Amino acid sequence: MSLLEDLSKDRRVVLYAVALALAIILIGALGLKFGLDLQGGSYLQLQLEGAVAQVDVAPEKILETQFNASSVQKLGNAYVVMIPGKVKATLPDDLGYSGSKMVEQNNITKITITAIDTDIITNYLKKSMDADVKIVGVAPVQYEIRTNVTRQSLNAILAPVGGKVATGEKAFVEGLTVETVDETKKVLDSKLNRLGMQDIRVRVVDNKYILIDLAGMDVATAQDVVGKPGKFEIRIQADNNQTIHVLYGDAVASVDIPQGDRSGGWGVPFTLSEEGAAVFQKAAIDAGAIKNPDAHPISMYLDKDEVFSAPLAAELAGSLAKVPVRTLEARVGSGDTGSTKAKELYIHLREGALPVNVAIVGSGQVSAALGKQFKVQMVIAGIIALLAVAAMVFYRYREKRIVLPMVATSFSEVVMMLGIWSLGGVWFGWQLDLSSLAGIIMVIGTGVDQLVIITDELIRGGEAVPAASDRSIKERAAEAAAKSGAGKAVAASSKVYLGRLSRAFSIIIGAAATTAVAMLPLLYMGFGALTGFALIIIVGVILGTAIARPAYGRIIGHILAGN
Amino acid sequence: MELEDFVSKYPPKQMMLIPVAIIILALISLGVTYLNTGSPVKLGVEFTGGTLVTVPATESEDAAAAEYAKYPLVDVRNIGSRYLVQFGPMSDSQYSDLAKQTISKYGTDAEIRHMGPIYSKELQAQVIRYLPISFLLMAAVVFVVFRELIVSLLVIVCALADILTAAASMNITGVQLSLGTVAALLMLIGYSVDTDILLSMRVLKRKGTTEEKIVGAMATGFMMTGTTIAAVFSLIIVSNFLYLIIPSFTRMDIIADMTTVLIFGLAADIFNTWVTNAQGLRWYMNRPRKSARGQKR
Repeated sequence: MSLLEDLSKDRRVVLYAVALALAIILIGALGLKFGLDLQGGSYLQLQLEGAVAQVDVAPEKILETQFNASSVQKLGNAYVVMIPGKVKATLPDDLGYSGSKMVEQNNITKITITAIDTDIITNYLKKSMDADVKIVGVAPVQYEIRTNVTRQSLNAILAPVGGKVATGEKAFVEGLTVETVDETKKVLDSKLNRLGMQDIRVRVVDNKYILIDLAGMDVATAQDVVGKPGKFEIRIQADNNQTIHVLYGDAVASVDIPQGDRSGGWGVPFTLSEEGAAVFQKAAIDAGAIKNPDAHPISMYLDKDEVFSAPLAAELAGSLAKVPVRTLEARVGSGDTGSTKAKELYIHLREGALPVNVAIVGSGQVSAALGKQFKVQMVIAGIIALLAVAAMVFYRYREKRIVLPMVATSFSEVVMMLGIWSLGGVWFGWQLDLSSLAGIIMVIGTGVDQLVIITDELIRGGEAVPAASDRSIKERAAEAAAKSGAGKAVAASSKVYLGRLSRAFSIIIGAAATTAVAMLPLLYMGFGALTGFALIIIVGVILGTAIARPAYGRIIGHILAGN
Repeated sequence: MELEDFVSKYPPKQMMLIPVAIIILALISLGVTYLNTGSPVKLGVEFTGGTLVTVPATESEDAAAAEYAKYPLVDVRNIGSRYLVQFGPMSDSQYSDLAKQTISKYGTDAEIRHMGPIYSKELQAQVIRYLPISFLLMAAVVFVVFRELIVSLLVIVCALADILTAAASMNITGVQLSLGTVAALLMLIGYSVDTDILLSMRVLKRKGTTEEKIVGAMATGFMMTGTTIAAVFSLIIVSNFLYLIIPSFTRMDIIADMTTVLIFGLAADIFNTWVTNAQGLRWYMNRPRKSARGQKR
């Protein structure tokens, strides 16, 4: 049989066959991952708040205002602050300048702060905005402020110390650095993974939004788990019916996996940093928790919500009286509730605060049953689309020999797309969602368009005779073969044929390129909701134009020429 | 032949009045909507912010609505075996209550989509930013393909006319701007130029009179748009109507919106390709000039 032999020698046809086989193997071996809207679960869209800013402010002025000082002087690596009268011993610490030296003489207090200018500015921004501030650039120095801030609000904060945001567009840029966003994503990733949940997807969009898909979880729970993280704080009950701040999450050096003891009690062991342990010991002694633990319980807060509260254990109180203790355990109760509580507290302790403040932009959930139903509906839609297209093609050409290869090519393009998708699923976490299934059907629509261009170009060649439509396909095919000036068997490689094919491809490539570029912006739009749609269309158009359609051109040429 | 008559009976400039009139009508429709609502097309919930909840239809529509009386309820609709309940913007804590109430009653069987103010604001900004980029990218490709100013401009004008017509048709049919319809409009940008490229290529690169070449391209072009319409139509049936016949099926909003816009855009495309672009090419190819690219009659 010469048709198969001829085709098997054609590079394009061989490439097509190999690609198709590879796609089938990939789908079989790797499987396809379905998106949230087809398998059920909930999603959260978070915005990371923050900005990178350059500021014009004198550190001396900051210190002067903060300490109510009469004068501030820079001496080498330190600042000397003179304050009239006596001040509280803890004032420098309260203002965030730990390790300062304080001397009082002649009713004037002299505080020596070892710090450079950027430390003081960072500290001031941190204190006044109650947010993390990090230096992310030198010359000019840029401060990354990890909370919701505008140029106006930052100016308002700097005004009392005689400062302002530096002038120029670049001096205030909304958004965070890539590193910070990455760090936040990692914290979320590990936080969710540690919860033992499966099928979690955390994606970053636009370096500003984090999208989280949580399969098989309702949205209220998801919000609780993900939306809450914020500042972790340890406080202690004082005598006056108030709690006193002891530590923030940064003093927690490490947290161990929750443990159950023999009696069924659950606890979360954690370790404090060295300074943290000292502060903790001092606070416990000052508050009187050593002598009377029950009256001075230790409580832990996450975003001002109490997540844990218990008195010091007797033996711990005993050791704390003598030395700082770094290794502690938060005991939460026994049984299943204890185990659940321990797991929650573990997350809170471990990820006390995300590196940045987040706002929930959108959220929702999809029912698993509904997703399954959508899947079925989309497959039906795909089949109907393919049949409808086949019917149109048959109506036009009245030739099985054209309809079958056309529909088969179109279908094979779908298979190739799915093959790439299963590979992308492993490499990049691509999933088939409702919109990408719609994209596949769109590709069927455009793909067949292009096969029609090829077929018409081959049949009609250089002539533009409208009357051709009432001639039978065989006549036209025969004519095409005759025009090629050679026997039927060589028609598929003749000059005329190749000329027509290349003309068809100049149209196809133009059309494919416009479709693909028009889709590019969609990759970034709608918080990723349409990424699948755009991506699968682009992939489909490339695969179709590069692999399937050239092969179709060859095959249909042979079929039309051979009879 | 009828098609031939249609293509060549009237002088191009006269024929061009029809598309010009249609574009003007589309612009008026978009303009009126803009004056009334502040945007050229009606914005869907994704762009205004709000919450959508769909729940299994286990009770009467009124009973389902009554449960949500304390939230800013906008609309309750039956979408097959489920009810779609739409809410206007609400505070975070209200939404939190709404989600908890819904989940406690229907569990994970409920579908919830909440779009906060940041979401909708950002989405609006994105559309304003990306729709033109998409269009410009398409235009750049068209220029690269043809390397001829007038021919490229004709294609681009046709694509613009398609989009304007599709957008105006949204106002007429009451389809709101959603993520799905934005995707459809972008899709249309790429899609609509397919037939224009085919037409222009045939007219530029083949032998024969312009009119003959146009009619020749028409046969292929109709077929192309026909297959696309067939594919889109099957999506319309499945997403929009199948649930009326098969009770267990549900309306798929995003697909339904997308395909409605596409169908109008494709219809506009038939007209714009074979009247606007074709007549434009007729005028361009047959105009008196020195260049010998096209054949004079």
